[in-house]
Parts: sequence; structure tokens; C-alpha cells
Amino acid sequence: MKGYRNYFAKKLVWFLVTLVVAFLLNFTLPRLMPGDPVAAIVSRAAQGMSNATGVQAIYDQYTELFGTDKPIPQQLVIYLGNVLRGDFGYSISQYPRTVADVIGSSIWWTVMLQLPAILVGWILGNVLGALAAYIRKGFDKVLLPASLFLSNLPAFGMAVILLVIFGVSLRWFPTSGGYDYAMVPSVSWEFFVSVFRHYQLPFWSIVLITIGGQAIGMRSMAIYELNADYVKYARFLGIKDSKIIRYVFRNAMLPQVTGLALSIGTMVSGALVAEIIFSYPGLGNTILTAVRGGDYPLISLATLIITWMVLLAFFGLEIVYGLIDPRIRAAQSE
Amino acid sequence: MKFSRFAVVGLLLVLLMAISVAPVVAQETLPRNETLYFNGQQWGPVTGWNPYSNSNNNAMAIAQQDNARVIMFETPYLYNMLDGQVYPLLADGPYSWNEDRTELTFKLKPAARWSDDTPLTAHDVAYTWATHVKYNTPTGAGNIDYIADVVAVDDYTVTVKAKLNDEGAAVNPLIVQAYVSTNYVIQKAWTETLEARANGDAVALLADTAEDVVYSGPYHGYFWDDSKVIYIRDDNYWGQDASMWGKLPVPKYLAHNIFTDNAAGTLALQSGEVDVSQQFNSNVQDLWLVEGLPISTYLPDAPYGIGASLPTAFFNLNAHGLDNVAVRKAIAIAVDYPTIIANAMTNQSATFDQVPRSLMNPTPGEQAMYDRAAVADLQWAGNDIEGAKALLDEAGIVDTDGDGWRELDGQPLRYVATCPNGWSDWQAAIEVVAAAGAQIGIDITTNYPEWSVYQTVVTKSDEPLPEGYEIFMMWSDGAGPTQPWSRVRKLLSSEFNGMASNWNGNWGGYANPEADALIQAIPTITDEAQLKEMYTELVRIYLTDVPSFTLMYRPQSFHTVNESVWTNFPYDGDGTNPPVPPLDMTDGWAIAGLYNLELVNP
Repeated sequence: MKGYRNYFAKKLVWFLVTLVVAFLLNFTLPRLMPGDPVAAIVSRAAQGMSNATGVQAIYDQYTELFGTDKPIPQQLVIYLGNVLRGDFGYSISQYPRTVADVIGSSIWWTVMLQLPAILVGWILGNVLGALAAYIRKGFDKVLLPASLFLSNLPAFGMAVILLVIFGVSLRWFPTSGGYDYAMVPSVSWEFFVSVFRHYQLPFWSIVLITIGGQAIGMRSMAIYELNADYVKYARFLGIKDSKIIRYVFRNAMLPQVTGLALSIGTMVSGALVAEIIFSYPGLGNTILTAVRGGDYPLISLATLIITWMVLLAFFGLEIVYGLIDPRIRAAQSE
Repeated sequence: MKFSRFAVVGLLLVLLMAISVAPVVAQETLPRNETLYFNGQQWGPVTGWNPYSNSNNNAMAIAQQDNARVIMFETPYLYNMLDGQVYPLLADGPYSWNEDRTELTFKLKPAARWSDDTPLTAHDVAYTWATHVKYNTPTGAGNIDYIADVVAVDDYTVTVKAKLNDEGAAVNPLIVQAYVSTNYVIQKAWTETLEARANGDAVALLADTAEDVVYSGPYHGYFWDDSKVIYIRDDNYWGQDASMWGKLPVPKYLAHNIFTDNAAGTLALQSGEVDVSQQFNSNVQDLWLVEGLPISTYLPDAPYGIGASLPTAFFNLNAHGLDNVAVRKAIAIAVDYPTIIANAMTNQSATFDQVPRSLMNPTPGEQAMYDRAAVADLQWAGNDIEGAKALLDEAGIVDTDGDGWRELDGQPLRYVATCPNGWSDWQAAIEVVAAAGAQIGIDITTNYPEWSVYQTVVTKSDEPLPEGYEIFMMWSDGAGPTQPWSRVRKLLSSEFNGMASNWNGNWGGYANPEADALIQAIPTITDEAQLKEMYTELVRIYLTDVPSFTLMYRPQSFHTVNESVWTNFPYDGDGTNPPVPPLDMTDGWAIAGLYNLELVNP
């Protein structure tokens, strides 16, 4: 267990170092973007004003508020202090809303869209891949090219195809928004149905892409395992096929679990395409608006969330690997 | 078994999503027959309800411009762009000037009341101005050079006192009289609450989201989130008094869903999810001619709307060669305007044959304010490649090194023409400008930065524009109570050069003392013949010096309506008196249109 403690400590140090570096980059990079974000707020405040002194006074008020009149290292210290208190500042493009408020109102849409989509895509993809490896014959001949096609289709291509076929032509599902245009959100069956209907196209656009990739991965791993010596030996011993298959798929699952963890880690950024094409009110749309608006406090927090999630996914994965894979523990003990 | 567990988890997640985004409210679906849907006004989430601030992004409720938007907050007068007159709203009868034109006085309607049922008085009007000044709000800072004070003479009488120059005359009577139709009256009692909350801090006061704001208009906020905003009628609205409208506006709800772009908005208009569209719908006539939809515009034929503003290409006068009038004029006369109007605007603009370029918008009122014949020899119709080449040859600007591009003082004429990314009609127009350059030996390429970058560069007049902004597009003023003077000022006046944040105009840095003197003098002139002479002279200067050039005419607002649910929208010649302008029934006198709507299927 001492080996594992060393392993854990090393991973933790790397995790914390990466976190600090990511935080610094998240703070610095958006601030190197061209354009003066405070000028953007002042520009809204100063529209129509024709006296230089009045505009300058307003400009000074806002530079002081956002601290852009101070050098970047000093801004960083202030920002860090604020973040530790949970204050991520004001959004520039949606001033006077706070960044936390803007992210808070959109992130749940993204999580609720992406998490089920990734899980459903992952489950269906793995089941189909495993079946293809086991059944082979006609099933595999259909599934393999279909999976290759789906996994290579760009996300926006899939979204547009679904939009045109099921939204515009067949009119089965709404083409944009999170709920019906005439509705006010409420705890009601009617609203739930509306959300569910608006959910379908973006959901399936993500699921179908995920299925393709997962099915191919699972199929390859399962075929590899099915040809492994232990399977042949088990068959030679007369163990039932259903029991062998259970072992085979358990072994084939390991890399698939890695893929799942990474998908969940990157889900916030992965939502971008589907959300934009279907005007879905999630974080993807928020990030796009923030980038267009030079809204660096908003960009900083959004990218920080993505970074945290990816890092946590990796960290969690490595910790779990250390626990479940004796080879890693053994290597660390040496 | 495992799969069913996943299914349960999935369903729970979806349910959780529904709950997490759902504040508990009574109404679930807006009744279609009581709701008027808009698009094209609100392009992002509403961020506040503070009428003192310009940062609310609450386009449907807060827009204090020439045609102030008055569904929630109200102005003493309503401007009507069709006849150039103002009509009383909160005010009781017309305003009057004193003999020296230094003080403007008006009375308030005794019936006018706030949403908390207290009377709206002259003290509210005076306190609104005092607050604007005290906290240096955009309205205060924008008017302080022209308005000395706003005082309550008695409970219902207001006097706006002009700032005086050294001779004792009003610095600008035009701006003083515009104040009463372009700025809201805000309740004194609520303002005091706001001040207490802000603790005297100007930034805090302007950043307050003011969800408790007291208003005097017929609608107020009902629901808003990241995807929509809904306003509900106040059935106690004072305007149903006989001294104003005599009734309530017809729709109970005004709703605006937030669309990601024009294409999404057009789709919603086509499907009947939008009744009034204030966005550019490309080839709008196809909606009724080809698709047979019950959709129409203010005018039945091209240009389909009343042109009011002048999207303009500005020359950066600090760029090499663009300080030379021959280069500027050559580019301007070589541009193919019919192509811009046909392609970029899909014919939703008058042509320059119909309305020759000047500093005026195409409305008959403004066109009558200058002598068209006197400047006819300076006009150009565009697409004049040979004329442009001759002009450059004559100025000695020729291709000296044989590379196909002309040089001036040994340096090639190489420019970037730019406008914001995603503004498709502007981008199409700027491409035509670049194409014109290629035909006359001037190398013009295009570049489309994001709006956030573009605006901060263009409006920073205290530094020369950087490379990449040699030719660039921006708007001009539309129709309003100070027009055409204000537009002329913003296209030609040098007073904006050097401002830290210049949102007015003359972004290229033009300076001409003769033009400045005329612009300064016009607001004090009341003699119409003299005014016409002065405006004609300004047009002459503009067409001679070409510091910028108009590329097309554009409506003040696009006003396309779908009559699936509502009908009796305003249109040209509908017989209303005074006529209701095509401003989506929210701006200035256009709000009168909300009182005339009828249901298609009552």
C-alpha cells in the first residue's frame, strides 16, 4: 500500500500543478485578445453622448470597476482573491449580470443534454459493438460500415441532417430552443413534454455520433479478447459460452471506461455544435457569445470549468487505475 | 436489469432538468390570441430593468432614442417620423418656447399615473433630470452641455431651461426640444429608493438591475430568461383615460424569443411564431409572392419600407492616399451601388437614381430640406470606372512600376475594407467596394473582425485608426426630432475627433472649419429658406470632399408582419391620422398601432 500512497501523492502533485498552470492560462489568454472589453461596456453606456468629458468620466468609472487600469499581475492577485471568495466578477457582454449567474443559468441545460446523451451513446455503442464481435456475419457487415460512417461524420453534419429531415421536412420535432416558444417554464407535465420534444434532435445528434465511435472500439477489443488464449482454454474446458462472454466483455470494457470518463470530462466543450445548431440554451451558446463579445471574465470561468472537468476526469481515472490495475501498483512500488 | 436501471437514471435526469430550469409561475402557455410576438429587437438575455442605464440589454423596454421605445417607460412627447411632428403622451398639449427660445415649457396630463397608482408630476420630471446629472448617466452626460436645468414650476408644469452661450442665446435649442420626446420620465420616489440602495455610488446605481422599478407605460416585465422575454399589460394603465388613448392596447402579452441569427428569426416568422419582425429578412417579397404566406411589409413593393438611415463607408483620413480627395472620390464613384442594393439589401433600399445621395434620408420631409438641383453636378450614380480612372490619372495617381496598381508618392494604394463579421448585408456591400478598387487600380482587400473588436477600434477617436481600418462601415442617424441636423453633424463635425469613446460618427477623422461653423449655427436658425441654403451648402461640401459615402438606404426599423393571428397592422396609406410609422408599434408614435390591432379569428 506504500507504493500506492507514493503513486497517489505523485498524481496529486501533478494534478495541483496542472490546475495552477491552467488557472493562470485561463486568466491570461482571454486578456490577450484584441479589443478593449471595458470599452465595449463604455461604448454601450456612451451611445449618443457627444461630450468628451462625460464619456471619459464613464470610461474611468468602469475601468476602475473592472480593474483594467491596473497592471495584469495586480489584476491577477485581485481576481484570485475574488475567486477564492467565489466571486468571478461581472460578465462584460451581459453586464450587470455576474459571470456565475450567466454560467449558472446555462450549465444545467448542457449537463442534462450531454450526460444522458453520452451515457446512452456509450451503452448502445458498446452493446452493439459487443454483439457485432460475437454474432459477426450479417450483423457485423451492417454495423461496421454504419459505425464507421457515424463516427466519421462531423458533429455539425449530423446535427444539420437531423434538423433538415426531422425538424424542417417532417416537422416531427422543433428546430430550436429548449422549450416551446409560447411557454413559460413551470413545474408541469405540459412543460416537461415540451422540454422533452425540444431535447430530441440535439440529444440524438450527440448519441448517434457517440454510438459509432464506441461500437467500433468495443467491437475491436471484443474480437481481440475472443481470440485470446484464455478464451480458447475456457472453451476447451467446456465452460458455457455465456459465462465466457461475460469475462470477455469485462476485459474489453477497460479502455471503453477510459473513453467514457474522458467524454464526461470534455462534455461541456463538446456541447458547442449541437447547442449552436439547435439554438439550445446551454453553455455552448454562452461560450460562443462570450468569445464573440470579448467577454473575458465569462470565457475565463467557462474554460476553467472545462479544464477542471477534464483534469478531474484524468485524475479520477488514474487513481482508479492505480487501484484496480495491479500492474500500475507494481510499477510504482519498484 | 442493468439497462433498466440506466433508463430510470436517464429519466430522472431529464426530469431534474425540467425542474432545475423551472421557477414556479402560474401561467404555462401564453394564449396565442392575446400575445403579440416579435423578433429582431432582443438579441441576448435581458440583464436589467434600470431606465437610468444603457447596459440592460432590454431592447423591448428601454431604448431612449429619437423614437423612444415606450411600452414600459414613457416620454412627455412621442415623435412621428412620418410627419416630423411630436404628439403629447405624458404631456398635456403642445410645448411652448419663450420668446428668446431659451426656455421650453409644457404641462403634464392630470390623468398620468405611475404603476403604483401615484400621480405622475412635474417633480418626477425634474428629479429625473437632476438624477441624470448627479450620477453622470449617459443621458445626463449627453445633454448637460445643452440643458441647464429642468424645473417643476408647479405640480403639473415643467420648464426645460437651455444652457446659454456667451451671447445669452441657447447653445442648442434643437437638443432641448428633442429631450422631451427622447428621454423617459422616471418616478422620483423609486429613484430615491434606488439611490439609497446604491449608497450614492454612480456605478452601483447604473448597475442596479431595478426589478422593482416603477413605470408609467402600458406593459411591464412578466417573465424573462436566457431564451425569451415576455411583457404583460397593466390593466390599470393610466393611458386608457379619455385624455390619451381612451382604451388599453389590444395584446395582453408582448413576447420576444431570442433567436441566434436572422435565419432562425425568419424561420419563426414563416411558421407564424412571430407576428412582427424587426430584422432583415432577405428577399422578403418571396414570403408572400413565392411561398404565399400571409406576410406583408409597410410598402407593398420595393423598397418595402421607409428608408431612414444611411449605412455608410468611412474613409480613414490618416491612411496613406485617403487624405487625397481624388482617391476617395474615385473609389466612391466606381462602386456598383445597384449591385449592393440588389444583393446586399435584396432591393429593400431606394436606389440612388430614385434618391440621389446627400446628407438626408429618403423621407419627403428631409429631401425638401436641401436644393437637389444645386448639387446635381456633384452627384454620381456609381459604377463609373472610366470616370474614376480619369480622375486618378488627372491627379497624377498612376501605375508607375507597371504592377497593375496605382501609386501615390511612390507608395502603392493598398487598403483593407472592413466591417463586423456576420453582418451579412454589410459584408456583401463591402465586397462590392473592394471589387470597385480592383477595377480602378487600387488594391482593396476585405477583413471582417468580430463586432467586439471592431467597435472598440472604430470608436476610439483619441488615437489614429490602426492598419486594417482604411475603409470601414458604420451607420448614420435615422429619423428623429433633431434630424437632419444631428445626422449631418455626426457625418461631418470635427468635434468628435479625439474622444476616448466616440459613438457619434465622423469616425474617419474629417475636419472642415466651414462645415463645423454651419453645423454649429443651424440649431439656432428658424428661417426655413436660410436653413435650406445652409443644408445645401453642407451637402455640397460632403459631395465635394467625400469623407464618407452612403452605400444604401435602410429603414429605421424593419417592419414585416405575419397576419395569421393579428391583423390591422400599420401600412402605407392605411388612413390612420396621424399616420402610424413602420416602427413595430413600440417606438415613438408607432405605439398607436398597438391600439388598432385586431384578431384574425376573434
